[in-house]
Amino acid sequence: MNDDAFSVRQIDLASADAHVGSGDIPSLSIFWWKDLPLGMQASLPDELPYTEARLRQLAAEFSAAQLAARSVALGAPLRATYEGWPKSVLSLAAALGVQNPLGCLDELATASSASAQHISVVICTRDRGPALAQCLQSIARQSSAPGEVIVVDNSRNATARPLCVRFPNVRYVHEPRPGLSVARSAGIRASRHDIIAFTDDDVEVHHGWTAEIARAFAQWDVEALTGLVLPARLDTIAQRRFQFDMGGFGATFVPLIFDQRFFEETRPSGAHVWKIGAGANMAFRRSAFERVGSFDERLGAGAAGCSEDSELWYRILATGGACLYEPRAVVFHHHRRDWPGFRRQIKAYMKGHVAALVVQYDNFGDRGNIDRIWKQLPAYFVRTFIKALFEGSPGRTRILAAEVQGWLAGLQFLLRLGWRKQRTSNWLRKKTDDPQGSARTVPVSKSISKGPDRRPLLP
Amino acid sequence: MSFNTDVPPWVRIKAMGYKIVDVELSRPLAPIELAQHQDGVGLIARWHNRLVGFEMIARPTAGVLSAERLRSVADQCFAPRILVTKLEEELLRQRPVAEPALPNLSIAICTKDRAERLSRLLASLDDIRWKSAFPFVEILVVDNASVDSATREAASRFKDIRYVFEPRAGLDFARNAALRSATGSMIAYLDDDVVVDRNWLEGLAKAYQDHPHAGGFTGLVLPLRLDTEAQLFFEKRGGFGRGFNRNEFHNARFDNPLHPVGSGVLGAGCNMAFDRALLLSLGGFDEALDTGAPLPGGGDLDIFYRVLRSGRPMIYEPEYAVYHEHRETIDQLRRQYWTWGLGMMAFLVKSRRTDAELRARHRAMVCWWFFDRLKELARAARKLQGRDFRFGVAELLGGIYGLAGEYDRSRVRVQSIREQNQ
Repeated sequence: MNDDAFSVRQIDLASADAHVGSGDIPSLSIFWWKDLPLGMQASLPDELPYTEARLRQLAAEFSAAQLAARSVALGAPLRATYEGWPKSVLSLAAALGVQNPLGCLDELATASSASAQHISVVICTRDRGPALAQCLQSIARQSSAPGEVIVVDNSRNATARPLCVRFPNVRYVHEPRPGLSVARSAGIRASRHDIIAFTDDDVEVHHGWTAEIARAFAQWDVEALTGLVLPARLDTIAQRRFQFDMGGFGATFVPLIFDQRFFEETRPSGAHVWKIGAGANMAFRRSAFERVGSFDERLGAGAAGCSEDSELWYRILATGGACLYEPRAVVFHHHRRDWPGFRRQIKAYMKGHVAALVVQYDNFGDRGNIDRIWKQLPAYFVRTFIKALFEGSPGRTRILAAEVQGWLAGLQFLLRLGWRKQRTSNWLRKKTDDPQGSARTVPVSKSISKGPDRRPLLP
Repeated sequence: MSFNTDVPPWVRIKAMGYKIVDVELSRPLAPIELAQHQDGVGLIARWHNRLVGFEMIARPTAGVLSAERLRSVADQCFAPRILVTKLEEELLRQRPVAEPALPNLSIAICTKDRAERLSRLLASLDDIRWKSAFPFVEILVVDNASVDSATREAASRFKDIRYVFEPRAGLDFARNAALRSATGSMIAYLDDDVVVDRNWLEGLAKAYQDHPHAGGFTGLVLPLRLDTEAQLFFEKRGGFGRGFNRNEFHNARFDNPLHPVGSGVLGAGCNMAFDRALLLSLGGFDEALDTGAPLPGGGDLDIFYRVLRSGRPMIYEPEYAVYHEHRETIDQLRRQYWTWGLGMMAFLVKSRRTDAELRARHRAMVCWWFFDRLKELARAARKLQGRDFRFGVAELLGGIYGLAGEYDRSRVRVQSIREQNQ
């Protein structure tokens, strides 16, 4: 059953004929209430088509979660718990008092009409012409057009230039220095508006994407925003393993605040900032970069692998800021189709994750980051291995092998940090005669502004 | 809690039981007073008469469960479910569906030498059968080789009960006898150690109207009493509870590659209903399972499995609820865990033999089951939970014994029972 391609369907539960289209081939159904994403469910042909009663039950369960997470009278907004999931704060009195729940839901599902003129969209690309063309087309279809669209071409020979010329509203920037962080920083320098939204070249965005980002920033005083990343296609085994075994890019459909409490709760095991979202769908206020700096050039695709996004959220949270996850901002991501590519990606993720933990430790001195490398991650490997052995999913062990390779490759960053630490602390000791002198005690504000990779970005 | 100094504390704790209370949440919550010997509450929660939750609340102070404590439990455990229920009703109101006509219903109660419990169950059915939406409801009492006439007399005290005597001892002999003598096109089975909820028939009717093509239905099983240590222990470990969300089961399931081999998730044999024609076409229950000692289990797993394999879905409906009298003593409970292991493995051995297509899944299920039980044992050992450990061992040993040819032994025994009664 894992051999069949899954179709990805969009089902609007608010329409009366929702049950007609659910079909009888393996599918991942993404449920909506008009423009509000509600949830998703994978089903095999035996479970399809969904009956009317089943869809009614799904609609009720999903919309109850939306009401509890979005209606202020029911306890919204929700904060992220340790797991990165919401914990409902619904009270009996509030639940009993709800009048006209479907009316409330309709109201919540109204699409945003906010102007996106103050948003700069930055897309970094590297030698992926056809995918980029799809991405740019989806951005051209936005219901609220963004103030500007910047494509940062990270290829050596400026291969994306001819394509970008075809889109009249796209500004083209060539950044030949390789690395996603470098390219994103170039995008930030080139951008002119107050809010900078990032997406990737292997993504198609929903037509309300920029409008929803504008609405979220208008409603909330946060520095960073992330959104929902849904799979665009699940044709190949690599795509399905990524979505179903590795959890894709998350499956939370309710908005969440990631704040100081989340940071403090997860700090002992390295602050779980990767639960905040994905780089394929994120946005920042310009002031955030002014305050904590740009993406770390040691991280990200082309450098350590990934996690340049989560490391930036770490800096925002560690210095008192907050991030909002708002699943109304939807993008569709094309997962890697080929198995070797998928394996490389998993390896890069783990390597980048370890590198980010080292960088975070370097910046703020939280032991939790190092503990995660030496305790939580190996424990996770052992647990996953035993589980895969007994539950008999052979594919999982192959993925695990890639993860372990990534982890081992990531350890080099720890060694390098160790050497550098030794040098600087000796140097400090000589200079100040302070026996305690080490990077660990450098205050936050200093550590943010130091280092060659975090020079001020704005001219 | 204050302890009387001349009584050691464990003596008092052992004597404790839980009071079971039925609370309507749409009315203001009142504190619950407990009797001397009770130290907790088993809270059955309803909203506008619909079941929305069950929680066990331990140790209220000074013999009273305050309204505040009650409210905080309701906030945490029942409020989300109420919101879902509200939305469901609202959606149904906005988009009403054509309700298919209900079938004639036969209720089959299989019993052996338990006249008192049978009367209790018949009394609870008597309250609801005349008010139900089903066009025709018959109640069959299948007397499974009782030694005296008490069962017949108990049945005769109620109006309009059909009494059937099945001389061959064994629960599945009785269930098949009921299947043959019933007249309804739907047949609902009840064990004699349950009492039905007041919405039992409505719950079944609702599940049927939403899923008229389902091959079978299972329902929620709540505790009837929580008076002894064994009953409390059993319920705290999860009991027969399968939650308060309706669930659909098909021939395959995306989130469980072993499905439908692990058919225990569907529900329990003490409360299940089927399309009678389907059961007849499947050949009824396997009489070598559920024979009473020495193999008193596995029959429900087997029939759920075969219904799903026939391609018809099964529905778990929480409002189709009964209250089950759990085992009273620790020894009986240990015996039950042994039975679970035994029945599970006998079922797997049988299915592996009869259903070649899913052989890999049966094998994987055996591996998974032993792995899971060993994991539980390790956890109990680590936390020094002696009782969990002993029950875990009982279940594990039952599983080993079941794997080692119990199904074949049972078939031989059943064959000789058949021959004796020809």
